Amino acid sequence: MIPMELGDAIEVRLLQWSKAEGQAVGIGDALLEFETDKALVLVSAAQPGTLRRCFYGEGEWMKPGNVVAWLSDGPDEPLPAQADAPADAPADDLLVTFDIT
Amino acid sequence: MPKLFFREALARAMAEEMEREPRVILLGQDIAAHGGSYAETRGLFERFGPSRVRNTPVAEAVTIGMAAGAAAAGLRPLVFITYLDFLLLGLDALVNYAAKLRFKSAGQLTAPMVVKATAGAKGQGPTHAQSIESWLMNVPGLTVLSPSTAGDAYGLLKTALRAPGPVVFIDHKKLFPRGGVVPDYEELIPVGSAAVRREGRHLTLVAHSYMSVLALQAAELLSAEGIEADVIDLRSLWPIDWDTLANSARRTGHVLSIEEGQVVCGVGAELAFGLRERIATVRIARLGARRVPVAASPVLEAFTIPDVPAIVRAAHRLITDTAAANPPSPSEHA
Repeated sequence: MIPMELGDAIEVRLLQWSKAEGQAVGIGDALLEFETDKALVLVSAAQPGTLRRCFYGEGEWMKPGNVVAWLSDGPDEPLPAQADAPADAPADDLLVTFDIT
Repeated sequence: MPKLFFREALARAMAEEMEREPRVILLGQDIAAHGGSYAETRGLFERFGPSRVRNTPVAEAVTIGMAAGAAAAGLRPLVFITYLDFLLLGLDALVNYAAKLRFKSAGQLTAPMVVKATAGAKGQGPTHAQSIESWLMNVPGLTVLSPSTAGDAYGLLKTALRAPGPVVFIDHKKLFPRGGVVPDYEELIPVGSAAVRREGRHLTLVAHSYMSVLALQAAELLSAEGIEADVIDLRSLWPIDWDTLANSARRTGHVLSIEEGQVVCGVGAELAFGLRERIATVRIARLGARRVPVAASPVLEAFTIPDVPAIVRAAHRLITDTAAANPPSPSEHA
């Protein structure tokens, strides 16, 4: 999910995916990069898992709170039916880190 | 049509005009390798080199004076003033030299320069957050432009860079985090042309810059109550698009002017008088900052500047209260 508190950002743009749907990710692996009006934000995995679904394409615009992708622990874990289902997930479910340059 | 960040729309306008016209140069603090205070010149230094994208010292009077001289000598400088507040340091060169040059020389000399400055309150306190663009409307010879969207920023900056005389181009800190649609073809927006953002029939909301964004939001809330507002984005503070304004005012009979700066001798004061000269029966109210400097405290800043609820309240007063045309205090928006 794009963090709700992202400086003054109102909209952000997805620059590129570093992993594809179905690929396994390890701790520290880059997942995607997006940009705000001033900063580049690199999103990396903070625990191992599988990138299951990507909801936005490169060049698409997103807002804070939008769910960008689903990660799961294993490759076969059942997925929720709705794209917005994990938005209410508690903060300790966070599986990624954000590096801002 | 592509969607761009506000800064990217500015960068595209500059790049296109620099490509087209070798006399266009950029002067300002941190605009070269750093890419601009708002990242709006990113890539231009690498593309056009140090002779056309020049960092300047923290000396606005010198920079604007230099630009005025360079313009008189044949260049087309674009000067970046990070905060509109700092334009005060360079006003002498801009007002006394650049704006008057054409008149003083009987048209033999002109100063085709652009000063781009960023106005608006966004947490920077009393000396980095003012909206004093109405002061500039008073100066003969100055064109004053103020976009509220990325698309207009693109079209107006291109127009400014081709204008015959000095132009002040004023954007707003809160416009930079926003994306907006920019035409994928070249499009210039003429000076003196307002945009009708929304059509209604009960009243006209007139604003410029970031207040246009808020006026549109207020218009949606009013619409939910059955009050339909025209929303006019001035885009050009001088010259003023009187035709567009008068056409709307004639239809709605009620005009609410909204600005982030002070209302005393403000944009709304000029609009009110100009509209009354054209339409004797129109009812007009104006909304602006309270009569204090912009506060550093976020709470007090929000209290100082008009917001969406204040616009809605002022609209209600205007269309329901016959005394609204002469509100008790011009700075009261509680």
